[in-house]
Amino acid sequence: MNEFKNAKEAYDNTPIPAELSERVQAGVREGKARYRARRGRTIRRWGATAACFAVLLAGLNLSPTIAKAAAEVPVLGGLFQVLTFVDYDKTEDGIHYDVTVPQLEAEGALAERVNAVVQEKVDAHLAKAQQDWDDYREAFFATGGTEEEWADREMDVLVDYEIKSQTDTRVSFVVTLAEGWVASMQERYYYNLDLSENRDLTLRDYLGEDWVNVCNASIQEQIDASVDEEGFTLFFTPEMGGFTTVDETTGFYVREDGTVVVCFPEYSIAAGAAGMPEFPIA
Amino acid sequence: MTKEETLTSFLIETQTRSYRLAYSVLHNREEALDAVQTAVCRALERQDSLRDPGAVKTWFTRILMNTCNDTLRQRGRVVPFPEERPELGQEDPEPADDTLAQRVNALPAEVGTVIKLRFYEELTLKEIGEVTGQNISTVKSRLYAGLRKLRVAMEGAEI
Repeated sequence: MNEFKNAKEAYDNTPIPAELSERVQAGVREGKARYRARRGRTIRRWGATAACFAVLLAGLNLSPTIAKAAAEVPVLGGLFQVLTFVDYDKTEDGIHYDVTVPQLEAEGALAERVNAVVQEKVDAHLAKAQQDWDDYREAFFATGGTEEEWADREMDVLVDYEIKSQTDTRVSFVVTLAEGWVASMQERYYYNLDLSENRDLTLRDYLGEDWVNVCNASIQEQIDASVDEEGFTLFFTPEMGGFTTVDETTGFYVREDGTVVVCFPEYSIAAGAAGMPEFPIA
Repeated sequence: MTKEETLTSFLIETQTRSYRLAYSVLHNREEALDAVQTAVCRALERQDSLRDPGAVKTWFTRILMNTCNDTLRQRGRVVPFPEERPELGQEDPEPADDTLAQRVNALPAEVGTVIKLRFYEELTLKEIGEVTGQNISTVKSRLYAGLRKLRVAMEGAEI
């Protein structure tokens, strides 16, 4: 068995890539976020239920304290509400669906249009997930997989949203579509709306005419600040396809405190370990 | 420490082991890195399915091996034939031809996995069964089949 000692030695000496620990950190970040997303949904459901009760009680004028609390629940304030209209968590034919689709409830064409766009994206996402899964199953059996091995396989399909901020007339929210088994694929769509004016809000609305320069300067500064003592950064250089400029298609959301946060998709301007880079614009 | 913190430190502390194992299955640096990242992500995402914290090693190894197997299936071949192997970077030398390590790599995946887990990772047969979802007698027969193919002298070997 001495031969195995040598083989094991060769195995133990497998070169370890320098970026391994970043990749593990990225996995940790994403895994924790997904775990929170799962649990968060449960908590939010309860929150919504609580809000309903609060309204009910306030309506009956039983408690001024609860009436005040109800006014502070963001989904109940303002001209409109963001409501969940599809919400299910089920496993069907090996696919675990965890789907929460937002719907805006407000007067006017904008809300209708946004709802239609969101629904269209969700439908396309679910169809693609089903197709990927079918392709995968075919490849699985074609390469000698057995029914028994197939049985404990599961793919996750996630649709979720997060309201970043809301005022009486404006709402900023993010819809996340994800699919995961081998490659984790995640897409985010950002919506910033003014319901009273019935239109999409742009970076220009928040940052003024000079919005491109304002964003670019701030983003470049943050990228520069990410370089460590050894000159390393996860961000690509412009020559490597890294950040050059924001434009009309750049995603962003608005925080509660009014700060605009510009977002880029995974891998677009930085290595995967950086996740989806976000830049608060000061 | 919370359960999540314990799991996170385990994943970080054992990352080189995870990478070696993934690399020994995939023989491709990028795919092995992807597999480790994906497995770590999945482990945390599904941390509630780890019922017995004492079994974290086999629980995670199983996730990692499933991730690697998925990658193999995705690229449409279970056993990587040498001529089809992706270009290898200079920093990842393969064992010289015809060494035992090379022959282990050439074994059919299900047999090779058992050999690697037993002799490289030094898992017990019971643990290998848990990782691969096979019963002990299957693990044993695959181990012996592998050793026969490798023509390794088994006298006095502790299996």
